This record gives sequence, C-alpha cells and structure tokens, in this order.
Amino acid sequence: MSTAASTAPEVKKNYLNDHTGIWSWIYTLDHKRIGIMYLVSLFTFFFIAGLIALTMRYELMHAGASGLLTPKQYNVAFTLHGAMMVFLFIVPGIPATLGNFLLPLMIGAKDVAFPRMNLLSYYIYIVGAIMALVALLNPIDTGWTFYTPYSIQTGQGVVLMTAAAFVLGFSSILTGLNFIVTIHKLRAPGMHWMRLPLFVWATYATAGIQVLATPVVGINLLLLIMERTMGIGIFDPKLGGDPVLFQHLFWFYSHPVVYIMILPAFGIIGEIIPVFSRKPIFGYKAVVIASFSLALLGFFVWAHHMFVSGISDFSAATFSIITFGVAIPTAVKVFNWVSTMYRGSIRLDTPMLYAISFIFIFMVAGTTGIYLATLGVDVFYHDTYFVVAHFHYTMQGGAVIGLIAGLHFWFPKMSGKMYNEHIAKIGFVLVFIGFNLTFIPQFVLGMHGMPRRYFDYPPEFESLHFVSTIGAFMNGLGYAMAIFNLALTGLFGKVKAPRNPYDSLSLEWQTDSPPIHDNFETTPIITEWTYGYGTPVRDGTHH
Amino acid sequence: MFRFLPEQASTFAADVDWIHNWITDISVFFTVAIFGAAILFAIIWRRREGKDHATPQILGDHKLEAIWTIVPTLICVFVAVKGLVSYQDMRTPPANTLDISVTAEQFNWSFEYPNGKKTTNDITVPVGHPVKFIMRSKDVIHSFFIPAMRVKKDVLPSMFTTLWFEPIKTGSYQGFCTEYCGAGHSAMLFKVNVVSDAEYDRWLTDDSTEFMKSKMNAEDLGRALYEQKTCNTCHSIDGSMRIGPSFAKLWNKKEKLVDGTEVLVDENYIESSIVNPNAQVVAGYAPIMPSFEGQLSVDEIKALIAFIKGLEKTEVAPVAAVQAVAVAPVDRSKLKPEERGKILSQEKLCISCHSIDGSKVIGPSFKGIYGRKGKLVGGADYEVTDEYIKESILNPMAKVVDGYAPAMPPYAGQLSDDDINDIIAYLKTVK
Repeated sequence: MSTAASTAPEVKKNYLNDHTGIWSWIYTLDHKRIGIMYLVSLFTFFFIAGLIALTMRYELMHAGASGLLTPKQYNVAFTLHGAMMVFLFIVPGIPATLGNFLLPLMIGAKDVAFPRMNLLSYYIYIVGAIMALVALLNPIDTGWTFYTPYSIQTGQGVVLMTAAAFVLGFSSILTGLNFIVTIHKLRAPGMHWMRLPLFVWATYATAGIQVLATPVVGINLLLLIMERTMGIGIFDPKLGGDPVLFQHLFWFYSHPVVYIMILPAFGIIGEIIPVFSRKPIFGYKAVVIASFSLALLGFFVWAHHMFVSGISDFSAATFSIITFGVAIPTAVKVFNWVSTMYRGSIRLDTPMLYAISFIFIFMVAGTTGIYLATLGVDVFYHDTYFVVAHFHYTMQGGAVIGLIAGLHFWFPKMSGKMYNEHIAKIGFVLVFIGFNLTFIPQFVLGMHGMPRRYFDYPPEFESLHFVSTIGAFMNGLGYAMAIFNLALTGLFGKVKAPRNPYDSLSLEWQTDSPPIHDNFETTPIITEWTYGYGTPVRDGTHH
Repeated sequence: MFRFLPEQASTFAADVDWIHNWITDISVFFTVAIFGAAILFAIIWRRREGKDHATPQILGDHKLEAIWTIVPTLICVFVAVKGLVSYQDMRTPPANTLDISVTAEQFNWSFEYPNGKKTTNDITVPVGHPVKFIMRSKDVIHSFFIPAMRVKKDVLPSMFTTLWFEPIKTGSYQGFCTEYCGAGHSAMLFKVNVVSDAEYDRWLTDDSTEFMKSKMNAEDLGRALYEQKTCNTCHSIDGSMRIGPSFAKLWNKKEKLVDGTEVLVDENYIESSIVNPNAQVVAGYAPIMPSFEGQLSVDEIKALIAFIKGLEKTEVAPVAAVQAVAVAPVDRSKLKPEERGKILSQEKLCISCHSIDGSKVIGPSFKGIYGRKGKLVGGADYEVTDEYIKESILNPMAKVVDGYAPAMPPYAGQLSDDDINDIIAYLKTVK
C-alpha cells in the first residue's frame, strides 16, 4: 500500500496504510486494526472447529462405526468443536470484531476509551486461546460443559481448560468495561442516548453481561483448583462435594453468555433492516428496552439447563416461569424488524438477504425454546437432538449468521473495497439451505427421542442423520464461499468502495472507506436521529 | 403438523404430547405468518430497476406494540401453566408404586426388584401399575430416559433421585442414557418390557433366585445360575473348548496355572475364581473373566460349587466324538485347501468366537476379513494378510483389534503350517 501511495500521491491515508509492516499491527492501538486482528484470529478457530463438526457429521452419516473415529475420538471431537466454537469464537464474537471496529465510529469517537487496554484484551485472548488449545489437545473428552464428576475422572486437562476460560474471561471483561466507558464518555456532541444506533445499544447491554457474569467462571475455577490440589470436597461426591453445584456455577455464567453471543447479532439486524428498507426502525425504544430486558433476564434463567438434574421441583417451576419471560422481548424484536419492512423500498443485497433469513431462523430458534422452557416437555427433550438443533439455531443461525450479515454490510467500510455480489449470494443460498437441512432433521431426531453426544445410534435414525450430514457439508461450503469471497476481495479486490454505498444515515458511513486513523477529519456534530429514513407522515410520528 | 413423537406408552404421554403439539401448532402459525409477512413485504415493496421509491417515516405504533407484547405473554402464561401441571404429575407418584432400585455405572444399568431379583439393562414391569425407580450412580452422572414413557431423570453419585410412570401399553421400549458419561455412553442402553400382570408374576418368580432356592436343590440352582449369569458363554460343561476352562471333570482336578504353580480345584478355588477370577489363571487361558463380586450370595456360590461338583460324575461325551458328528470322515487330501480350512475352523471351534455372517461375537467376524484394514488396541494400523493371520493364530495377543478383548488362546503346536495355509485359503473365501 505504501507503493500505491508513492505512485499515486492523491491516494488518501487511511487506517490500513498510514503505518505499514508487521510491527505496526502488533503494537497498534487503533480499535479498527484490533477489530481486524480479532476477526482473523476468530475465523481461524471457526474454520478449525467447523472442520471438526464436519468430521463428526461424517461419522454420524450412517449407523454403525464409519471407521474414521473411535468412540473416544468422537467424544474428543465434540468437546473440541463445542469448546472452540463457544470460548474462542462466539463469545468474543461480534463485540470483539465488529464491536471494536464500529463502536467508536458509530458514536463519533476517535477510538475506544482505553486503547491500550483494548490491545491488552486481544493479547489476553491469544494467551487464553493457546491455553485452551493445549488443554483441549490433551485430549479432553468431557464435552464443552465439563460436568463433574466425569471431568474429574477423565484427566487433568479440565483444570487447564477452566483456567483458559478464566483468562479468556478477562479479555471479555476488559472489552466490556472499555465499551461501557466509551459509550458513556466519548459520544460526539449531539449523540444523545436516544439517538444511538441499535448496534451500540446492543453492545452496551452485552458489555454489562460481560462485566457481571464472567467473574463467576473465575469462582468456578478457584473452587475446582481447591478441590484438585487441596482435596477440599466441592464438586466431587467422593470428597463429599456436590456435582450439581458445578452445573449451577457453570450455567450461571454460560447462560448469560448466550446473550453475549446473540444480543450483538440482534443489533446488527437492527442496523441492516432499516438501511435496506429505507425506513426507520419500527418502535426504536421498544427494541432498546427489549435488549436490556434480555440482558437482565439472562441472569435468572440458568437452571433451565438443569430441570432433570435433581434440582428441587420448586426451583424447576421458578426457572421455567422466568424462562418464558425471555420469549416476550424476543418476540417484540422480531415483530419490530418485520414491521420496519412494511411499505419500505427493499433492497435485496446480500446483507439484507442474511437479515431476512435471520428472521426465519430466529423464529424457529425462539419457538423451539418455548418447548424447552415448558417443564413437562423439557423432561422429554432434555439432552436430545432437539436441544442440539435449538441451540445451533440460536448460536449458529443467530450469532454466526448475524456476524456474517454484519461482515457483508460493513465490509466496504472496513476494507474500502466491494465484494463480489454474485458469489456472496450463492454463499448465502448455500448457508441458508445447508443450515436448515442440517438442523431441521435434528429437531425431528429429538422428537423421536435420539439422545445427544452419541457416537452411534439405532438404525431407524439413519435417514435423518444422513440428510443432516448432507446439509452440514452444504452449510460448510456456503461459509467457505462467503468468507473467502470477503477475504480475497478485501486483500486483492479492485472495486473501490464509496463512502456510503448503501446510503445509510449512520455516522460510520459518513467518513472515508476505509476510515482514517482518527476516524473523522473533525469531530462530527450530530443533529438528527440515526434512523430518519423516509418522508415524515402525520400518523405514527411518535418514537 | 410435525407429529413425530414416539408412541404413547405411559399415562403422562397424552398430557405432555397435548401441550407439545399445541406449542407446535401455535409456533408454526406464528412463524409462517411473521416470516410470510417479511417475504411478502420484500416482494411487494422491493426496489425496482435500481431506484428507491418514497417511503413513509413510520416510527412505531403503541397500540400494535401493546398487542404484540400482550398476546405472546398470554400464550406463554398458558403454556407455562400447562407445562407445570404435567411436570407436577411426573413428580407426584401414587402410594402403591412398584419400587425398583436402579444402579447406574459406566456403562450399564442394574435393576433390583423388591423380592431381590436382579437384572441388567433390562426391566420388566406390569402394565397398568405405577412403577417407581429409586436411582443412584456408582461413578459419574448418568440419565435415565425412556422416550415412550416421556420420562427422564439424572442419576447422581451424590444423592438418590426418583422417577415414576404408569405404563398403559404392553410392548418393548428402548431406554437410553442421556447424560454424557464417557466412551461407552452411546452403548448404555436398556430395554423396558411392559407385560400383563400374569406374565409379570410369572417372570418375577419363575427364575428368581428366591423362588429357585425354595424349590431347588443346590445343584439345580447352580445349573440355573450357570445359565442365568452367562457362565455358559465361556465355560462348557461337556469338555468342549471355549474361552475359559470347561467345568466338565473340573472338580478335584489339579490345574496348572500361568505362573507355573499347581492348584487343587476345591470350594475355595472356585469361590476365589468367581470373586477374583484373574488371581489364579489356568495355563493356556487369558485373564479376561469379569469379577462377580457382590453379584452372588454365599448360597449362590455354594450352589455353583455343588453344580460343578456334580459334573464330576456326569459322563461327558469325549471331545473327539463331538467333532466326529460335525465333520464327515472324508479323505482330506482330496479336498481343496479352502475346504480343508473350513473343516479346521469348525474342528478347532474358531467359529464359536468368530462369526461368518458379520455379527460381532467374541472376536472379529470372519466375514470379509481378508484384506480388512483398521486399528489395533494401542492405535497402530493393521491389514489382514497371510502373515497377519498366521501370527494371529500362533500368537494372538501380539496384535489385538481395537474394540476386542485379548481373549484368544494361542494355537502354536496345535496346527501345522499346512493347516494354517488351509485356514488362510478358507478365510479368503468368506465374503
């Protein structure tokens, strides 16, 4: 890029070319570069964990052993897949990548409040990721949930893995803290709270969970270490401990984490639909309130993972009722997205296709959650393929497809290039069909009573598993196309992106593509709401 | 729509399924309506010819938003209450339950009935009677799941958990372990046989040891146990060779052990061989017998001793005679090598552990064995060649296929090189 600058002196400086060389990345304090570094790291793990998923689907394609994996290796594979996807990819996920890149741009700031802490959080993430890999390759075969006492019996790796989660947690806490302070302190003049883009609101709600829930994993680790090194009985029944306590502490963190994964994805959808419909978001305040309701409720529903674990019937009833509370803000969000499209001028570009598909996927994710909140029905579905399909609809269909949608949407801003729209659309079709083909059969398997984490299964389940495997490979191919399309056009693409290819009113689009190091030439002054699309009408002018 | 739940075999099933199917219908309705609206909007108001048309700046509508907050809330309250009621039923067993004690361990289920009858991975219950399970794990967490009954409960090592149901239909139903418990998790299955009252009574008493003890003399009880505890899989009573020593003429015999010492087969040797089988292994056999410690009472061990003692008197057919029945006296030199090999595989009882139809017995099946590739215990690769077969016959412990026990006795000195070549020729033909 420096050569481009020398031959064409009119080329403007931007965050990618103002400093060059590897050290300019390693030492960078620029939130945009840190976001890109996270993006590359995260997708490396996504790629590995995705290949492991395909290996498992291959093993499950036919009844009986395929010869590819032994039962023990299969168990290691689903542990690797789950732990890497959750701890190294989806939890840091959208906040660390798009959050880092966009948050200061969206509120008109030069950077986050603590740029050095931001870089620190990245390196803590890398240290945690290395620890996790070392622990996982031990190998661990406990599943990503590390339930005691099996995890105590099966080797030392689990302590290192929890330590890795602890370290990764600090990365998460620092990011959350940084975002909270940034949103409070660095909003440009005129960027009132009620003018904030929904993605910022979602990131803010998420940051709260990151700061409050993550320390519990630390407590879990300390207790585990005390048990393993000092013989104090906490989780191990042989020492007088209670294995169900581990599940409580585990889910007290790991359920709110679900909202760390999904709220930012909601935020992305809330950005894309108004821009591509040329309409203001319908019920802005309701969408914001819904985000915070979800963040809050997320703390009080953890035991719905434990209805058949031996918790008291009173606890089960209480957690079931609170869990139903989650359905309402989720429903409100979906209704508001669809209403935003009403009488719009709808552009069906790739980000919008992903966003519309997200509505379907999240309807399925949400309504299948209703079954699992319903006590009598969850007794049947707990730990079956129904649960596997449900959480993949939220985690993959929600968080990952949300991230992919956002990457396509903000790609011109991030790279200064346009991606190939045809390949992106083919990728989208493969992802959408492949994803549903993978997991709809798994819902049906769950209805038949097929338990999860089974290396082998009775032959009557074979046809559904076969279809699911075909879908998984299609899904994988779709992601590969989508991501390589972005990566290759980003690196080598010739089509320059304008400042604002989608005519968005949001602040990040009002600066160069890619932005300069300080984001804006002069501090922007905001005079209007972010979503003022369309012609004002007499009815429905309140917000 | 989407009615895929298993058959309804307990009193809970209808209730659970009703609310389940109600959720399905309402979910499908809302998903189709809302996503349908999104698709419809995208079609009706799509941008045409690359130009935006004017759009109204609609910011919201309090009335609409109130409706789509309140309606889902009402639906959720209804579903939550129905779910609670069905759960309440599952947690409230009636007073007159048949109580079965369940012990889970990696990777099997043991059941004990009130009269002391024990079963493994197999439950028989009377139709129309409430059955309660009192469950405890010996090691890690397991979970007891019978889809047709719509019941599931974790089985913990730290406390007892219970579960009950009332079967309403006779039949055989599959049960699963649904809490991941290790390498054998997916094989930790059990069967639930729901039978009529009369059949249940017969089943419960017919082969129950209590019942047998009262009716049988020790020797007969021992014979029943010999079959019931599956001793017969590995120990013959007619002198024929199986995995372990035959019980025929075993009593009072001096056996040579693997460590070179001798032992007299008496009461104490038999008891120690049952409880701690691998302490004194007879020469020529592998130390593979599982311990039956805690599974047999002193009376039952006594009965088995009486049974083995009784076999001393029994006139058993000599081994040769058994073989003579199986193999017609033909001039073998006129046969093809593979035919000779086939006869040898029967004479030497290879086929009692190696099936020829692909089914898994004690050792790998002969079906399609030649040229087979796979993993050995320890992870090395193997391919079945002439050399591999020869080694496996002469020194079977050297290479054991992953998933099998090192149980095969060596045949060195029992088969000539020609015999082995015949067997190899035969194995090439088993496809």
